[in-house]
Amino acid sequence: MTISIRILLWLGVAALGALALGTIALHRGEQINAMWLVVAAFCAYALGYRFYSKFISAKVLALDAQRATPAERLEDGRDFVPTNKWVVFGHHFAAIAGPGPLVGPVLAAQFGYLPGTLWILIGAVFGGCVQDFVILLFSVRRDGKSLTEMAREEIGRVGGFVAYASVISIIVILLAVAALIVVNALKASPWGVFTIAMTVPIALLMGLYLRRLRPGKVLEASALGFILVMLAIWGGQWVSQTPAVAPWFTLTASTLAVVIIIYGFAASALPVWLLLAPRDYLSTFVKLGTIGLLALGIIALRPTLHMPPLTRFIDGSGPIFAGSIFPFAFITIACGAISGFHSLISSGTTPKLIRREPETRMVGYGAMMAESMVAIMATIAACVLEPGTYFAINSPAGIVGQLPEAAVATISGWGFPVTGTGMHALAQAVGEQTLFNRTGGAPAFAVGMAHIFSSSLGGQAVMAIWYHFAIMFEALFILTVLDAGTRVGRFMVQDALGHVWKPLGRTSWYPSILATSALIVAAWGSFLWQGVKDPLGGINSLWPLFGISNQLLATVALCVATTIIVKMGKARYSPVTLVPLAWLVAVTFTASWQKMFDANPRIGFLAHARQLASSAAPSHEISRLIFNDRLDATVTGVLVCMVALILLESAFMWMSVLSGRMQARVKEAPFVPTRFAAEEQG
Amino acid sequence: MSGLKNLMPDSNRRPPAERRSAGQPGAAVPTWFARVTRLLLSTLREIFDESAYSRFLARHEMSSCPSAYAAFLREQEGIKARRPKCC
Repeated sequence: MTISIRILLWLGVAALGALALGTIALHRGEQINAMWLVVAAFCAYALGYRFYSKFISAKVLALDAQRATPAERLEDGRDFVPTNKWVVFGHHFAAIAGPGPLVGPVLAAQFGYLPGTLWILIGAVFGGCVQDFVILLFSVRRDGKSLTEMAREEIGRVGGFVAYASVISIIVILLAVAALIVVNALKASPWGVFTIAMTVPIALLMGLYLRRLRPGKVLEASALGFILVMLAIWGGQWVSQTPAVAPWFTLTASTLAVVIIIYGFAASALPVWLLLAPRDYLSTFVKLGTIGLLALGIIALRPTLHMPPLTRFIDGSGPIFAGSIFPFAFITIACGAISGFHSLISSGTTPKLIRREPETRMVGYGAMMAESMVAIMATIAACVLEPGTYFAINSPAGIVGQLPEAAVATISGWGFPVTGTGMHALAQAVGEQTLFNRTGGAPAFAVGMAHIFSSSLGGQAVMAIWYHFAIMFEALFILTVLDAGTRVGRFMVQDALGHVWKPLGRTSWYPSILATSALIVAAWGSFLWQGVKDPLGGINSLWPLFGISNQLLATVALCVATTIIVKMGKARYSPVTLVPLAWLVAVTFTASWQKMFDANPRIGFLAHARQLASSAAPSHEISRLIFNDRLDATVTGVLVCMVALILLESAFMWMSVLSGRMQARVKEAPFVPTRFAAEEQG
Repeated sequence: MSGLKNLMPDSNRRPPAERRSAGQPGAAVPTWFARVTRLLLSTLREIFDESAYSRFLARHEMSSCPSAYAAFLREQEGIKARRPKCC
């Protein structure tokens, strides 16, 4: 292809992207087709990958095709394995794609589709993709070291400690939020509970198949498990419609929370790996299939968005979570735009699989683009719903009222018409008793997905199957996040306690396993319990806390990246990471300040505590809510202070290097020429 | 598509005549489709640990059997238990 044709092609992509973005941003009072979002996203990603990531590769990171990666130098067939770049891409994407990019955009849709979409596109191209890419490359150049190790070596002891504490904090808060989403999706839903319960015997069957009949044939076993899960979804309908059986599986939020807490502890402390491993495979199988299916569905069916581009709640009075667009849209959508958690994956398994250094661009930058596309799809799934329906599902009873009549009146009063009979019919269509007050994002996403698919594949008759398929997919995946996260947290605590008293660090010593598992489960379990008992639905306080801690971890990752870039002598290119870092500092610090000290009780934790203390008669319940508010404020404050410390230490390091007071020395593994270059030439 | 070359060992085992005919008009399966399918399968095998199991068998010079898979699972538990899952 000649240069002039290439230039014309890229100009065409830019023009198409501009047209799509213009349509998204400027249409007022008319509904638009979801394909405008898809086209805008594809064009933005194509331009970002072709030009921005290439600039970063060439100028900032100077990717070296002649340099051997740790996968080549330390190849052991176990951890370090040179792997085809497309395979690593798929592996990395499967590791970073979780419930976050599905739930966050659904919640942020309360502002309308425009703020979320713009943040997902801009945040990913200039922030999230860059973070994942540079951290992956820096880890590759350091023998696959973790983020905390790189922070300690490149910034200092404070940096290492803060990174460690941030990781633990985010894991605890993430697990609590994830568990709360499952509770809200499954409460009073015998169909959903039955389906999820059936995954336990299905996983046992898969384990039996894998261990006895066809050792190691995981894809076969997963396909078999998937068929059985589909049968379980079909059987769930019978369960929900059979009065004698349905009550066994109709659980309250409190009961579900207790069950999930026990599950988390058992998964961490008991030798149930043989159950968890097949379930993990099944969850990944369903996750990849569902994401693919949703992408195909949106492209094939091209649904219309009913949500306006901006809603009245941009002023901060939203029912799902309180707070204005800045900063709350940017912490609500984390994983689809920029997520600190990704830096753990980029400095975990993936760098040990990279075969050639230039492949970090496709894996790091490219996989995050794919994750961002998932977030765009979630935005579409939420925005295809009528706004009244969307708010009826997502608004907590504490805001819109306990009774359907009250909720309908409140939501219609906001200018989003909804009727009780319409909501009842929708609940019947998806096989639920009610869809009011189903906070957490998962039910709204499931209804949106069912809405998209039922418009052609099977019609209204199978809407309930689609809805419960989506609920099963989210709940199953979140439960695997829960058990994996609890184990990871337990190991991290054991590693730390091992420095205090050696036996506590032994991962095979049962008293230590039980104690550290209990510690981690108690930490996230208490936040979960707080969310379940919160009259405002829990999501209002916990999701922002999760968003803040996730973005603070991204701040830590970008501090590490900027420090390494400065020490590499590339300070003139440091804005590549410094600009997203500055943005995240502005967002997270503002959000933290508002969550702690804002005078509005729906936003500020302390204001809410004061309101409770002054307006209600003292009771055990009120005292607990006040304690929870103060705890949330303290956790937020501690996280911000820790990140401020790492920022200061990093800034001191940058100034020292730039002023010449300190000799810049990056701690990379020594250069070794790769044999793959010669093999490819030969 | 240089990365696809790394997936070639399997295809290179096929006779040259077969390799030629796959890309020619009228061939049952177009070459690009076979490559993409192979790539997809390789990715799925990596994600679902089938490749890791093959490497485990090669490393320990074992053949696949229930006891070998049990040993592989024990080794995987140590590795995967420390691997976070993203949100």
